[in-house]
Amino acid sequence: MVLFGVDVDYLAFVVLFCVGLYMLVRKSNLLKKLLGLNVMETAVFAFLVTSGMIEGADPPIRTAGTGPLFANPIPHAMVLTGIVVAVSVTAVALALIVQIHAHYGTIEVDELKGLP
Amino acid sequence: MTIAWSQTVPYLVVLPLAGAALVPIVARRDARAAGGFTFVVTLVTAALAIALTVRLVVEGPLTAHVGGWVAPYGIELRFDRLGAWTAPLAVFFVLVVPFAWRYLEGTVPRDRWAAFYALMLLNLGGLIGFSLTADLFNLFLAMEVVSLSSYALVAVAGRGTAAWAALKYLLLGSVSSLLVLFAVALLFALTGSLNLPDVAARLAAAEPSPAATLALASLAVAFAVKAALFPLHVWLPDAHAIAPSPVSAVLSGLVVKIGIVGLVRVMELAASSGIALDLFGELLMVLGAVAIVMGAFLAIFQDDIKLMLAYSTISNIGYIVLGLGLGAPFAVAGALVHVVNHALIKVTLFLAAGSIIHQTGLRTLTDLRGVGRTLPQTCAAMTLGAIAIVGLPPTAGFISKWYIGLGAFSAGRVAYGFALVFGALFVFIYYVRMLNAFYFRTPTREEVAAAVEPPWSMRGPVLFLAAACVIVGLLGGFLLAFIMPAVGDLLPAIRS
Repeated sequence: MVLFGVDVDYLAFVVLFCVGLYMLVRKSNLLKKLLGLNVMETAVFAFLVTSGMIEGADPPIRTAGTGPLFANPIPHAMVLTGIVVAVSVTAVALALIVQIHAHYGTIEVDELKGLP
Repeated sequence: MTIAWSQTVPYLVVLPLAGAALVPIVARRDARAAGGFTFVVTLVTAALAIALTVRLVVEGPLTAHVGGWVAPYGIELRFDRLGAWTAPLAVFFVLVVPFAWRYLEGTVPRDRWAAFYALMLLNLGGLIGFSLTADLFNLFLAMEVVSLSSYALVAVAGRGTAAWAALKYLLLGSVSSLLVLFAVALLFALTGSLNLPDVAARLAAAEPSPAATLALASLAVAFAVKAALFPLHVWLPDAHAIAPSPVSAVLSGLVVKIGIVGLVRVMELAASSGIALDLFGELLMVLGAVAIVMGAFLAIFQDDIKLMLAYSTISNIGYIVLGLGLGAPFAVAGALVHVVNHALIKVTLFLAAGSIIHQTGLRTLTDLRGVGRTLPQTCAAMTLGAIAIVGLPPTAGFISKWYIGLGAFSAGRVAYGFALVFGALFVFIYYVRMLNAFYFRTPTREEVAAAVEPPWSMRGPVLFLAAACVIVGLLGGFLLAFIMPAVGDLLPAIRS
């Protein structure tokens, strides 16, 4: 979607990515850092899906009911795979956070820094 | 016969991954058997990789299309001269796994052995996949397989400090992975293709766009994080020092190299799509030179031997990146050879350091004074590795650093040549410190005086690797001759 000469989809993606990056860098709580990472992932996935929408292109399999808007199936397959990867990363990170909490009793970075 | 050989290329990836899935089943019977099983899988993979390298020399690059779908639609695996580094890669795993058999006793809880071996095989499969794939999305996937298994391997010894180091690694590593995915999405949106040669051809045909440059730049930054290039290295020292020693060897010698292989892929893509990367080359040179000096400088102040080796990795990545950035044929060839040589030397050093730590329970230079007297063989291996990493002839480190330096001077970049020499000087200082502590000081700790040489399953790989440091150094000319034909494909990127 284009508004005032700016592609809103891509703008939204950039904003979302930066919000995630801000959370990852600035937040002290490890869980919030991880959430920031997830927001960044969502932004990249959104970009990937959007890039597959091409107005006016021909769909690969045409039936009587297909409309003019064409969605490339490859980005969808990539996003699905990407989501699986993202879930695995989140799972590993959560498991590590649980271990950190069990050992140090805190998941705040500024408190972790002083500990051996 | 030609077709038959190229069709075996996917098995290089499939074997370790399938092996990884089977490890927990084997381990249900006996945790020890999982180690033997892993060893057999790595051995078969290494044998296949070596056989393919021989075929490569005889008949040229081997290409396989997964599932019979031809490029640019299907997934292409290419075993070329750069991809042939998977052969030494697999051989290092063959040596690291037996070392781990006895090392795990007492360092990693028995119920985690299955996970350890499975993760090692996943790591190997991912590394090979990353090096061979010509498909952008699979590049990302293989990288994630390597990264995820590495995060878990850092934490596998299980204490809280390891988990914290692993999480730091994970947070930075994931951001760099996301940048790669973003670049893949951007390149796909621009060209509608995922096959690397096809993407390059389409970029070359299209008008130059800032989006293509942005994609290549984010790929470069992402791979610089993976390679722990100097300002982006912060995750490396803790993760590499805290991980169990066989894991440190794999991470420091092999896993950081995916960043380098990635940078080489970016150079290839830029070279064949006609995007000029002058600034990129300059940046690589500056960062490489800074990394050489800073990595070596920081290593001098480390008392913990594994931390010292970790900083030395940062310094050596600097050498490779400087060589790539210089763009002179000698320098690039030297850098590519140093990828293998540094892997060999760093695996040797980490395994030797691991043996010393395992036999004494101590890990700082202060505590380890005089250990050369009680562990003569292991310390001799460590000394050979140290001489090799300083780059003294006739060891493995010499020829690659020599060619990088030669490239620097022949390209008229004398300042970088001097950075290289200063780096070598710092490296020399910290390894002299280590040798001094090992051989010329009297033991202060009774653990050192009471230490005995490790069992043969650990000593064998260490001694073999130390011998290889010298042999590969003597045969260095063959490595250069092998890699030279591949160098030409990378060069237009920087020269144009």
